[in-house]
Amino acid sequence: MNQARAKSDTVSETPFSVRDLRALRAAARRRPADFAATVPMMTLEQLAAAKIASGDPYSLRWRKKTPPRVTFQLEYDAEVSLYTALEAKELNIYAEALRRCWSLFGITKGDRVAIFDYGTSPVSYLASRSFTPYLAKGAADLLGCLPICNDGAANLSQRAVEIVRFVRPRLLFLRADCLHPFAAEIHNGALRLASYVDALVAVENEGMLTAAERDSYQKSLGVPIYRLLRADAAMFLAPECPSCGLFHIWPDLYHVERSAQEGRAGRLLVTNWFAGSCQAIRYLSQIEAVLERPGCPAGSQHPRIRA
Amino acid sequence: MNQPARAFSRERMDRWPTAKLEGYQLRRLKNILRYAGRELPFYRERFQRAGFDPDKVKSLADFARLPSFTKKESLDALKQEKNFPAGLEKLTASGGGVLCMTSGTLGTSFLYLPERWAALRGDSLARAYRWAGLRRGMRMLMAAPAWHSLAVQETRVIQRLGAACVIPWGTFLPRYARHFLDAILDVKPAFISIFLPMLYALLAECRRREMGAAQAFQSVASILVVGAPMTPLARLDLKRQLGVKDIFEGLGNPEGLTAMECPHHVGHHIFLDCCYVEIVDPATGQPLPTGERGNVVLTSLIHHGSVYLRYDSEDLGAILPRRCPCGRSWPLMEVYDRRANILRIAGRQIVPYDVRLCLDELPALVNIPFAVIRSATPMERLTLLIQKPASGNLEEIGVRIATLLRKKLAVETTQEWAEELPQRWKGVTVIEEQDWRGTRV
Repeated sequence: MNQARAKSDTVSETPFSVRDLRALRAAARRRPADFAATVPMMTLEQLAAAKIASGDPYSLRWRKKTPPRVTFQLEYDAEVSLYTALEAKELNIYAEALRRCWSLFGITKGDRVAIFDYGTSPVSYLASRSFTPYLAKGAADLLGCLPICNDGAANLSQRAVEIVRFVRPRLLFLRADCLHPFAAEIHNGALRLASYVDALVAVENEGMLTAAERDSYQKSLGVPIYRLLRADAAMFLAPECPSCGLFHIWPDLYHVERSAQEGRAGRLLVTNWFAGSCQAIRYLSQIEAVLERPGCPAGSQHPRIRA
Repeated sequence: MNQPARAFSRERMDRWPTAKLEGYQLRRLKNILRYAGRELPFYRERFQRAGFDPDKVKSLADFARLPSFTKKESLDALKQEKNFPAGLEKLTASGGGVLCMTSGTLGTSFLYLPERWAALRGDSLARAYRWAGLRRGMRMLMAAPAWHSLAVQETRVIQRLGAACVIPWGTFLPRYARHFLDAILDVKPAFISIFLPMLYALLAECRRREMGAAQAFQSVASILVVGAPMTPLARLDLKRQLGVKDIFEGLGNPEGLTAMECPHHVGHHIFLDCCYVEIVDPATGQPLPTGERGNVVLTSLIHHGSVYLRYDSEDLGAILPRRCPCGRSWPLMEVYDRRANILRIAGRQIVPYDVRLCLDELPALVNIPFAVIRSATPMERLTLLIQKPASGNLEEIGVRIATLLRKKLAVETTQEWAEELPQRWKGVTVIEEQDWRGTRV
């Protein structure tokens, strides 16, 4: 048994105990089957239960002695509110994940990017260092872009249309539940969307437009629509590649597995490699997906998922 | 010198003598006029049309000859360009910064807020958070959503002061009060920065959970509110209900205004390092003496990002004719309401703030939400929609309201009582009659 395996075996069976991420990562890479067999899953229900039992807003996940600098309340419709917290360094890596999403969607220096989502969505708060304390560089800062955000509330869709008309962003990130009212506003205004934006990106936390819904909106709006997967409890982001149509995963940031457990089969398990102070290890998401081999020209080493 | 210390060293200018402050502001105005004339087409054209030569400005009175403009004119410029920028800003080639939006009945404006703007406004604003008690290591609940210009400044403030922050999910609409209250209960911030209507929504959420507000706000020492004027008695009552040490009020907008309360609460100190404020007569455009209500005309002194020179904010305000006991020489101001909310009743002009001051004199009505119903036709009486207080005889309260408003504002009133004001109107103090009646059909 190698050293990494030994370390992963020595941790407690409780899902929220502090783990040596480097050792776990080595274990996941060398012996994924053992990793899956020995490291317990983390579920939303467990996070809620741990929070209720302990009174700790971070569900016993915060491992530093000092309190976190930045705490985010998560977007889950759970009985209790859940939180994650990040140190500045981790926040920056999370923003790098968003930067990679933007790059895969074709965003480059000088582009304008619009985000129609809540300020507390990572798609918004990781966009610029102006938006979030202690973030050194957001995705827009890293790429040299100009971002604009507004609340992704359905009744504010008119604002999204005004952004499109006057700012002409290259890409508009849009909450999936705002697509319908946004499309209605576009049609009411008889706007030819393709004259203003290159594409839309539909975003949802642990959910996704179906391919059929996407095709229908693409047809009615006349622009490509890509999807961006989020699992906020694991600080996970995965973009749908415009080239291969699959979702790319960055192995230096995340490890993904597909649950085989009865009743949960097919759901994505996410391990986050950069969130050391508020860990997310084998987080069982609601995302149903199939793992695919790397091989896309847009990122030949990226594992991919079909969702 | 570390960063916070450097920022705080600028606080010395809060106590400069008035003449020195005026000289400082005049220098800054001349600089920004030259910048606007050189770099910003919107102003070049305005200067030309008005025959205004920025180089000939030698006094504040000279500056006041530049015609003011409203949001409509900046929106017209945007519509003419059909694309941002509209000539009020110069985008920096190096990138950095964000666009923010301000909305209103006329349409949406876009403001470019580069990092230098955020740094200058944020460093200046940091003093107000210190006045309100925010210190290194304290945890602050940041209610402004990331995209809001206040959040852009607060991001800088939090880092400057070395505070920690908690960001609740959702936005500052009352329907998200549940999440905000959870965040307060769970993460226990010591400092809250929030929009006043949301604070009222949090109180309602406490009532819904049958939880004492003081219990919910146990961890909170100070609250800084923005977004709506708060009367002195409303503050006292909120402090009592929430059990917090103090509540501070701030005024501001991304076009230029920052004016914040110090612990003496006798008005809002105008942040003279960032903005120049004039109060002008709505009819003549001439400057009004201190103490008189008029149009608030703003000039941003920051020549980064979107620049607003003599921008008529369409607010009704006044420079207050008093000095603050804190010893700071920065003048005090008050903003009473949007000009669009002025009510003309039997030949008199009042704003909901005046009504609030009267209602606050009745203990049963302090902080009880109310709205004024405005008719499209000339109004002889003031119609108030008031949420039923927890106790008291409504008929008797109604008589007392009528007497008070007759005495203080010289208007006759009619009251309508509601179990709760409809959610969409919470924080909105003027409701058009057709909207109100329409909802009841």
